[in-house]
Amino acid sequence: MEYLYTVLILVGIYTILASSFNLIIGFGGLISIAHPIFFALAAYCSAILNMRMGVPIPLAIVAGTLFATAMSVMLSLPSLRVSGDYLLIASLGFQLGFVEVIKNIEFAGAASGLTGIESLYSGPLRSPAFAATVGLLAIAVVWLVHRLTHGEYGRAIQAMRDDEECFASLGRNAMAIKITIFAVGSGLAGLAGALYAHYFQFLSPEQFGITQSALILTMVVVGGMGTTAGPVVGALLLTALPQAITFLNLPVAVMAPLQGMLYTGLVLLFVFLRPAGLMARRARR
Amino acid sequence: MLDLNVLLQIAWTSLATSTYYVLFAIAFALTLKVAQVWNFVQAGIMGIAFYAMFAAMRGWGWPHAAGFAFGLAIAVAASVASEVWGYRVLRRRRSPPLLLFIFAIVVAEFIAYALSLVFGTEPQSLTASMTAEIYLVGGVAISSWDLGALAWTALACGMLYAYLQFTRQGQFLHAVADNGELAELYGISANRAYLIAMAIAAALVSVGVYLYGTRASMIPNAPLELMLLAVIATILGGIGSVVGAGLAAVFLSLLQSASILVIPSQWQSSLIYLVLFIVILFFPRGFRLPAFLGGR
Repeated sequence: MEYLYTVLILVGIYTILASSFNLIIGFGGLISIAHPIFFALAAYCSAILNMRMGVPIPLAIVAGTLFATAMSVMLSLPSLRVSGDYLLIASLGFQLGFVEVIKNIEFAGAASGLTGIESLYSGPLRSPAFAATVGLLAIAVVWLVHRLTHGEYGRAIQAMRDDEECFASLGRNAMAIKITIFAVGSGLAGLAGALYAHYFQFLSPEQFGITQSALILTMVVVGGMGTTAGPVVGALLLTALPQAITFLNLPVAVMAPLQGMLYTGLVLLFVFLRPAGLMARRARR
Repeated sequence: MLDLNVLLQIAWTSLATSTYYVLFAIAFALTLKVAQVWNFVQAGIMGIAFYAMFAAMRGWGWPHAAGFAFGLAIAVAASVASEVWGYRVLRRRRSPPLLLFIFAIVVAEFIAYALSLVFGTEPQSLTASMTAEIYLVGGVAISSWDLGALAWTALACGMLYAYLQFTRQGQFLHAVADNGELAELYGISANRAYLIAMAIAAALVSVGVYLYGTRASMIPNAPLELMLLAVIATILGGIGSVVGAGLAAVFLSLLQSASILVIPSQWQSSLIYLVLFIVILFFPRGFRLPAFLGGR
């Protein structure tokens, strides 16, 4: 049962991550792959605030989320001046560079990782309570992304994504929209990170590397970029599918690359066979 | 205490180290110039070339020349396959740049995972011993590897220059790079040009990987990080300038080596990411070279 709760919690966390990434890349058209870094920033911030300064966990989670949001604004102000390929390369550099920096920071556990993080809940109901909390927050995030992208503001986001020059010529501020969706998306990734830290109670730089970027991207592409339900389906499918492989009891040296090949192979299949993702048709109706 | 010999040693070592970075950078810049793709598949090609050479040389005991030729052939075939069954299909469908990028990065990762599965994640090198003969020239240690690497890199770059400048096919690559649609009107096949660019890039990468593998160890995930320097060099050297990318790779290698004088060694690898940011934010079109060096 504990195992099932852990899978459910992972589905919830990845739903938040994939939905928030979809807001940036799918709805906003901002090609950044540094999403796991905001996940990491909030996770480390929340864990360190609680461990080293005694900040209560709920407050530390909020602080971690706000920290990720603030950092995303600081990154986006200069880097959203460039767009398309350049933004993508900048985000790749930020992703790899940040992981390298964490590896050298001693108080964050350096390369060996941060251990002994306190759990949000304790006692026999720890996992069900956490699963319920994550589940509710995941629903709230999906609803928030849906609201943000389907009203008047949503139409502005789509117009900005489809033709930025035309959008700007109508007197609208494309940069403000970009920064807003980047900050909201990154902040939500931060929320997922802080929750992750206080459930799994261990953080290491390797958890936030390029593999994590590929996984979140896979969830969005497979589910359907620019759709509300797509990332949810992607997160559910790609969190549940690798669990099937774990039942094969293969050695870690075989299982890890096999899971990686499964993710990347799936993305390649979708890129060629169904580039709009699983939920595309439903979104057009 | 710094002295001239230390500085000269750093300069020489970074020049020798830059050889494989130069080859990675000009391969990346060439495909970007001709095919207009940020070809991250190159990281996968680097992995394929290295592990094919590793299997031939260390696994089957082939001589280095045969092992290198085997790695090169496999790498060229893989690169051509990525163009024919990957980029060309996506181009024909007029796929958005995001999809091309996703394809490139995901193929590179898929190859890295496949190599991890087959060869494991232990660091591997192409030679059992990485020691080289050392000569002392005016207080500067010069190894036989340094001299070999410089000679091979000069030869590869010279051959590329001659091909691009003095052959008809090379001129076709320039024409497609400048204006693919116009080139097609004159009967030049853009698809053929893309294919040639991919094949040349794979050959350059194979030489670079061979040099790297005879000096350092490789793990399946390493090529993507090695590629990043090539990407920075391509931007810094000015998009569209193959020569600029090569020179920028030498500069970056020198900068990374010289940084040991001012920052702790564990932060040395982070420096390159800082440079990437500065370059993208302040010099997104790179630096312009004089016309005779390939600038515009």
